[in-house]
Amino acid sequence: MRVLAIDTALEACSAAVLDTELGRMIAGESIPLVRGHAEALMPLIARVMSEAQIEFAQVDRIAVTVGPGSFTGMRVGIAAARGLALASGRPAVGLSTLACYAAPYIAADDTAPVVAAIDARHEHVYLQVFGAGGRTMISPRLAPLREAMKAATAPGVRLVGSAAEQIMALWSEGTPEPTAVDARRAPAIDWVARLGAAVGEGQPVPKPLYLRAPDAQPQDAARLPRR
Amino acid sequence: MIVLGIETTCDETAAAVVQRSDEGRGKILSNIVLSQTSEHAAFGGVVPEIAARAHVEALDHVIAKAMSDAGLGFADIDGVAAASGPGLIGGVIVGLTTAKAIALVSEKPLIAVNHLEAHALTARLTDGTPFPYCLFLASGGHTQIVAVRGIGDYTRLGTTLDDAIGEAFDKTAKLLGLGYPGGPQVEKEAEGGDATRFTLPRPMQGRPDAMFSLSGLKTALRLEAEKIAPLTDQDVKDLCASFQQAVVDVVADRLRTGLRMFREKFGTPTSLVAAGGVAANQALRKVLHRLALEAGTVLVAPPPALCTDNGAMIAWAGAERLALGLVDTLETPPRARWPLQDVKPHAVPPPAILPRRD
Repeated sequence: MRVLAIDTALEACSAAVLDTELGRMIAGESIPLVRGHAEALMPLIARVMSEAQIEFAQVDRIAVTVGPGSFTGMRVGIAAARGLALASGRPAVGLSTLACYAAPYIAADDTAPVVAAIDARHEHVYLQVFGAGGRTMISPRLAPLREAMKAATAPGVRLVGSAAEQIMALWSEGTPEPTAVDARRAPAIDWVARLGAAVGEGQPVPKPLYLRAPDAQPQDAARLPRR
Repeated sequence: MIVLGIETTCDETAAAVVQRSDEGRGKILSNIVLSQTSEHAAFGGVVPEIAARAHVEALDHVIAKAMSDAGLGFADIDGVAAASGPGLIGGVIVGLTTAKAIALVSEKPLIAVNHLEAHALTARLTDGTPFPYCLFLASGGHTQIVAVRGIGDYTRLGTTLDDAIGEAFDKTAKLLGLGYPGGPQVEKEAEGGDATRFTLPRPMQGRPDAMFSLSGLKTALRLEAEKIAPLTDQDVKDLCASFQQAVVDVVADRLRTGLRMFREKFGTPTSLVAAGGVAANQALRKVLHRLALEAGTVLVAPPPALCTDNGAMIAWAGAERLALGLVDTLETPPRARWPLQDVKPHAVPPPAILPRRD
């Protein structure tokens, strides 16, 4: 199976092609990027496809990160993946950034927990906690930094995600530290591709995982009273 | 030449397929518009984040429907056009990115269309209107008088210093509790109202330029309404009628000045073209008709469904540009601001196309 993976949900713009029969990535590019994903992504995908020397008809699946992350960034990736899927007739699958962050650690050792935490600003993180066997212990949610820190004090924890340093800054002396702290700004694109290859057939179309309602209030204040 | 057009700059998710003959005649093969009105109604206006969320969920389905209604596959089209601004950036990003993806896979040129340019060129799709003509664009987001002299040759003669006309209608409706969108509601209430009951200002009237200002009118209306609140049904009707009459008078004065400026600079326009949702207002249409006759020209007003935001106008503008070889690259940025006079008929290198493996 060939998987085209795309990630623009956090502070990178990445795409890669995984060939599961060859057992390796056949092309990939990842650039650190805070803003400007809408300009950078499609030329980058064109370069990656060119490097892979395949056409879209030879891609079996398009995998894309759906968040949590930057609302704008994840919409760039999802619009791209759904547009590529529409035009190529290939299915697109969505993966959470939290799962992609945790995947390499679960793959290396699935007996100890993984705490994945992404900076959500205002002293909050997008949090997911994985236990033995990669099972979800805390589902993806918006949580205070302190709660993420508490989760990371469990024995043998690996802490990964863009909020890892903020969480470690809260650490008090004497508390056992995580066995690994990985503050990378975005998940590794090859793990997005690997997870994309691993999910079953018949997935729903990728949809954003916001974990936060739009910031808008119904407005009746301006309205004058009627008799 | 057949072009797919995508429109996502505000609260309509839209896609259409349009054909342009070598002689420049247009034919709409499909036109799908999914309105988000109900999602924004509770907020009394368009909420950008809600709009962006709705676009990304709906756009690929809307495009698929437009293609199947046209009975075509992506291999059958000659280009992919998307409104790349101006507008709410979250929606623009979704539309432009989707268009780039389709262009990349199907190896078709991308055309990044200015949303205002698409409104400006719609009369050529519906009526084959020749250049040069005077455009009056009035919607919830835009109020402009533009000299349209060719593709990419636009001179703005007037615009608003503050609120757009449609925005003033929406805010009036909100104040009076009439629901959203406000234009049609205010127009309906105005039918049974006394337009002379309230004395409202006609901002900018008599000024030598063709600029608009609507915020003072809106404030004056609120002050009049607050004086007599709580409002009876008749009060609301009279307020709406007085407001609408003030807008009509302002448009008449400002557009008359705009048409005079047009004649002085460019000669007599072939027509006065109305565009934007506000052009559906019957009282305004009447005055536009009169103004056109006064200026020695005719009014061209595309059907309301093509005056409000739609994909057909984007596809058509894309086809007009593509016919001149004007295409854009995959790096093209989405633009929240993109004044019409910044649209140039310059050629850019063709988009990156994947090398084919033999």
